[in-house]
Amino acid sequence: MEERICKKIKEKCYMEKLDNGLQVIIVPKRNLQKKYIIWATHFGSIDNEFIDKESGNKIKIPDGVAHFLEHKMFEQKDGTDSLYTLMALGIDANAYTTNDHTAYLFECTDHFYEGLDELMDYVQNPYFTDENVEKEKGIIGQEIQMYDDDPGWQLYIGAMDCLYKNNPIKIDIAGTIESISKITPKILYKCYNNFYHPSNMVFVAVGDFEPNSLLEEIKKRLKKSENRDEIKRIYPEEKEEINKKLEEKEMEVSTPIFMIGIKDKLPENDIVKKHIGIEIILNMLIGKSSKLYSKLYSEGLLMGVPDIDYEFSSQYAHVLISGQSVDPKKVNEEVLKEIEQMKSAQIDKQEFERIKKKIYGDYAVEYNNVSDIGRMFVADYIKGINSFEYIEKFDQIDENYIKELLNTVFDENKAILSIVKGEAKN
Amino acid sequence: MSLKTIDIKEGIKLHEIKTNKFKTNLISVFLTSKLSREDITKKALILTILRRGTNNLQSQEEINKKLEELYGASFDCGIDKLGDNHVLKFYIESLNEEYIYEKEDILNKSLNILFDIVFNPLVENAHFKEEYVNEEKNNVKLIIEGQKDNKSAYATQRCIEEMYKDKPYGLYKYGYIEDLDKIDSKNLYETYLELIKTCKIDIFVSGNFDDTKLEKGIIENQLISKLEPRKIELLNEKDESNQKENVVKESMQISQGKLDIGLNVKSKNKNAVSVYNAILGGGANSKLFQNVREKASLAYSAGSIYIKPKGKIIIKTGIEHKNYEKTLEIIKKQIEDMKNGKFTDEDIKNAKELIIASFKSMQDEQDSEISFYFGREIQRESVDIEKQIKDISDVTKENIVEAANSIEINTIFFLTKE
Repeated sequence: MEERICKKIKEKCYMEKLDNGLQVIIVPKRNLQKKYIIWATHFGSIDNEFIDKESGNKIKIPDGVAHFLEHKMFEQKDGTDSLYTLMALGIDANAYTTNDHTAYLFECTDHFYEGLDELMDYVQNPYFTDENVEKEKGIIGQEIQMYDDDPGWQLYIGAMDCLYKNNPIKIDIAGTIESISKITPKILYKCYNNFYHPSNMVFVAVGDFEPNSLLEEIKKRLKKSENRDEIKRIYPEEKEEINKKLEEKEMEVSTPIFMIGIKDKLPENDIVKKHIGIEIILNMLIGKSSKLYSKLYSEGLLMGVPDIDYEFSSQYAHVLISGQSVDPKKVNEEVLKEIEQMKSAQIDKQEFERIKKKIYGDYAVEYNNVSDIGRMFVADYIKGINSFEYIEKFDQIDENYIKELLNTVFDENKAILSIVKGEAKN
Repeated sequence: MSLKTIDIKEGIKLHEIKTNKFKTNLISVFLTSKLSREDITKKALILTILRRGTNNLQSQEEINKKLEELYGASFDCGIDKLGDNHVLKFYIESLNEEYIYEKEDILNKSLNILFDIVFNPLVENAHFKEEYVNEEKNNVKLIIEGQKDNKSAYATQRCIEEMYKDKPYGLYKYGYIEDLDKIDSKNLYETYLELIKTCKIDIFVSGNFDDTKLEKGIIENQLISKLEPRKIELLNEKDESNQKENVVKESMQISQGKLDIGLNVKSKNKNAVSVYNAILGGGANSKLFQNVREKASLAYSAGSIYIKPKGKIIIKTGIEHKNYEKTLEIIKKQIEDMKNGKFTDEDIKNAKELIIASFKSMQDEQDSEISFYFGREIQRESVDIEKQIKDISDVTKENIVEAANSIEINTIFFLTKE
């Protein structure tokens, strides 16, 4: 296996692309009790249209299929459910679906090989029937309602709706009760056969492993298959401009919550460097030691440090700042004003170095926990990144680059505001 | 892994957990006092005031700059109920020196900042800074009002409140809005001084460090040496809530209903009750999950939690409003089945595996390990993780049936739409 060392934090990872196209990444962690396995396919909620490998036809699927498939994968032909089989071994098993991938995972302290058997068995053996698909619609319907009640999720969807006109990222990951009603076993098998091919997947293991022998164990459990070309995905055209400036929803929240978004161009080269740079800017702008945060906190406009994020895939890229405020519009105004201020002022060297240290610390802390490491390697791999790059490219960021990013990314015309507030009392 | 406990003074302890599994060292200070209606809101305010500034670092901005310089050390604080005790928790997590790119004594600097925050708050003319108190009063008000934002947690808190009407454990950990008007910077500071003089103080340090140097640093710290010894009386009223099937319904605008059921547990065999709880609602194999969610498709979530120090179990479900009767009936059936021993050896085995795995993985998580040892400290127990695992393995079916027969429904709380 190819070895990659990250000196600063004293970690290593081992990588191998198998003949069938499956990417395996192993991150050994000596002396830990926990082992973490995560197997993901590059198939998420935005992958709604693609060219079918079998027929060569263009296929459009209902919203929410990736997530529905995730739910149904656990069900086995003999009537058992793999989730329960794993739990019965004291293994913490789960799965999740994001915009760009679906992941199956487990974390355990004992019974590792039994867990590996079960995981690799159920992910490679789907079993969908009319009956079990119908039943799942009830359960997922409940889950969709739960999201409907979740102010944080509604806030995010509102922000996506402002940023994008056509991009499916604006649609709920689980779909809608209406869209999932159209899902059939046939659609599920079609998507499975296209997207759950090893060449479209990544397998990450974190824990006290000897990499080569674990690799053999993984190979042993894989079904035979030939490598394939990349799947052709079709996405609706999206302009560089935003869809709309503002979205306000009324829900039962005591204090309004807000999300400021800034739409960015689709990622080109050196996205890691850009990501680090944007995180530095966001910390300087509204991080916990920033002047703006202190001001807004003492004016009662913020209750805590806002969450800051830069989200991207091959199909979208945006900056997000979210928090709780009695007056979201005022916060938005202040943030935009401060951005302009930063553009015209000199970068404070001391502040810049301090924030760099902080962000280095944030990245290093990610390596405390097997599940954080596993999820990070998967999410980054799907985006074409090796997670170590964040620690390695760190030194390349200087003040000029920050200035450049400020001027190119933080464009007021691309900024939006999503708000969820309590209902107007009569 | 090893735990070493040192009495710094009567009522003040240092607990060291040596481990090299992590990139970080985690330090925490816990201030434990009795839960009481009189000062609950004040204590919540003290928690939020302390993080605002110290006599050395006079604002959050100053504190945060210092933390960022220490490679983004992170400060956190929180408030908890543990039995009938109220705990103020303060944490700093910082990188171990082995992983930084310049040489710096991060652990000692982190300790000093944490002690500064807890024991040396910004004081002006014998009271807290007026401005901070006013801002934090407003902040705590928003937190209390925000209780309803997390529907599932709110339903559980309301269920517990109904089980413990007018009793310490029923109190809301952040207090009550009506108290805020009477609090000013002077009386709040007096409460703080009293708390620091009398509360139980536990300092935990988890990570890779030189213990002699650490102990010296803590014992010689001026703020620590100024603290007086104190006699500790912790409160843990036993079983003061024994009402039966008290049904409460509350409505709010919500599309999924939350049904929480509080159970009385008379059995003193905590290990047997832990296994009981895991069979009933511990995970995806539990009776609740299987019967309420899977077989009847009634709920998205269904499970139960065991509140060990209080001897109570809370069943939590998220259901469609119209399914209230049906869900309740199925839940009651599960409780009845448990009493009649209608569960298999397989169920017992699964439940034990689940609990044991959680004990084992705890050693890979700094904060969980600290919480485990702190819980043990408060309940005056001295079992370590290995012994705990053995005790769970030794639970028999008879033990579980016996525990099951000591269990009754106390309160049924349903949060439903208007």
